Amino acid sequence: MKQNKQINVYKTIMTAVLLAAGFIMIIPFFWMLSTSFKSPNEIFEYPIQWIPSEFDWDPHKRVWFGDLSFFNYYFNSIKIAVLGTAGATFIGAMAAYGFARIPFKGRDFLFLLYLMMMMVPPQVLFVPKFIMFDWTGIYNTHWALILPTIFTIIGVFYMRQFFITIPNEISESAFMDGAGHFRIFFKIFLPLAKPAIATFAILDFSWNWNNYEDALVFLVSEELYTVPLGLDNFVLEFSVDYSGMMAAATASVVPIIIIFLLGQRYIIEGVASSAVKG
Amino acid sequence: MNWMKKQKLIGYLFILPSLIGVTIFFLFPLLFSFVLSFTNWTGPSGQGTEFVGLQNFQRLVGDSVFHQAFGNNFLYLLHVPISVIFGFIVAVFLNRSVYLKNLLRAVFFLPYLISPIAIGFVWMLLFNPTEGPINVLLMNLGIDNPPGWLASSGSSMYAIIVMSAWQIMGFNIIIYLAALQDVPRELEEAAKMDGAKRWQITKNVIFPFVSPITLFLLIIGIANAFKNFGLIQAVTGGGPANSTNILPLYVYQTAFRYYELGYASTIAIVLFIVIFAITLLQWFGQKKWVHY
Repeated sequence: MKQNKQINVYKTIMTAVLLAAGFIMIIPFFWMLSTSFKSPNEIFEYPIQWIPSEFDWDPHKRVWFGDLSFFNYYFNSIKIAVLGTAGATFIGAMAAYGFARIPFKGRDFLFLLYLMMMMVPPQVLFVPKFIMFDWTGIYNTHWALILPTIFTIIGVFYMRQFFITIPNEISESAFMDGAGHFRIFFKIFLPLAKPAIATFAILDFSWNWNNYEDALVFLVSEELYTVPLGLDNFVLEFSVDYSGMMAAATASVVPIIIIFLLGQRYIIEGVASSAVKG
Repeated sequence: MNWMKKQKLIGYLFILPSLIGVTIFFLFPLLFSFVLSFTNWTGPSGQGTEFVGLQNFQRLVGDSVFHQAFGNNFLYLLHVPISVIFGFIVAVFLNRSVYLKNLLRAVFFLPYLISPIAIGFVWMLLFNPTEGPINVLLMNLGIDNPPGWLASSGSSMYAIIVMSAWQIMGFNIIIYLAALQDVPRELEEAAKMDGAKRWQITKNVIFPFVSPITLFLLIIGIANAFKNFGLIQAVTGGGPANSTNILPLYVYQTAFRYYELGYASTIAIVLFIVIFAITLLQWFGQKKWVHY
């Protein structure tokens, strides 16, 4: 009885310490949100006004309805992220099944090749891709971002790891019943792998949403800008509009925060398992 | 038997779409980039391009910005061990009995998922040298001349290091937490029986046990520090006076600000070799470190 109480005191103290540390971790988010509602003269007030004396909606209006509207950036980002993620999930899952379950000739060599491609820094590919995209005319179109992301390597790797854990007997008994690989893939593996596929899709969507570097290299027309590039552009154009900057930053992180709140367990467990087993 | 054979051939069909795409968007550009690194290709069309042999590599040797970017890149690496150490400490505490475990885990992980550039702009204001909350706080603590952070070349990289450490720490915590689940209870119990204190158990039992994970996190962090430049490009553009310029950013700027595509490819190839060496280090290191 006594010991139980002692443990609880310890537990409470530990929780308080970690809550304090966690609070420091998310202070920048609070500051961003609170600043986005401040009028210019209030922004750097000391001590920090966490809750603005008066909520100023103007910064958010400037972001959504100003000269550089975030509606357009949102539309572009959603289009790219949805098409890219859907393609990557499907093509990645198919390749993952092939690598995990079909013992064709040269498989191990190809898989090693994929592994090596994962090491290649994206900057090495920027220049040749720029030249190729310029040749083929997809430079400065959304396809320059969508197409490469559809052919995901990390997705193949991640889903393959899950497919390997599905017991052999399941596919073997289906095989005995005369089902081919396509049937096994669609009817057995895809349904079984739903959690792994969902995890990958969520992560891939957030990578696509946050992808700033490719957009920076391959998009030049403002009407094609994605959210990160639009945010960058906003900061360049209005470099002293601090509350507007924070409103724009808020606009760009909100979808990811919502996705994280909804799919938190998938995401965290997905990240943990992919890295530790990898 | 024939059917079985056909089913094996179907394996190619499954990976074919992916393989075609990977060839076009990864393999071919990679090889192309090696070729480009020996040319003087400028501008998108590359008119008048010639092979220049090792000229680009010779230029690299005497390029002071390249040297600076290389050095900066190593300074920038500091955020990796910092985030790994703090990540380990937080994970150990989180793994012991605490309330609100899932909430805390989520709070620490969140920055990792957020767009580096969005959060970079937030930090940029927090680090504002004259009015930003960080320096105002430092001045109130009695530090009369706080660093100029992003505005001064002596301190800019340290501000970037803080941002990056903050951002990747959540990843390290999640990986450590997963690894800590595998620490055998008996091992801890035995140490406790021998009268070991909590921190002794952490230091002598848990830390050695997760050492392969520590190596993994260090290597992956270091490799990423040679790959990502978005945050720095958005926040400082590599300045002031190239003090935050790192290799991947230098590749980007050489290629897309000055359109020296051949020379940019040369820098990129060097970058690739660096990352390749680091990865090999991991492969060999892992064999040495893993002890079960």
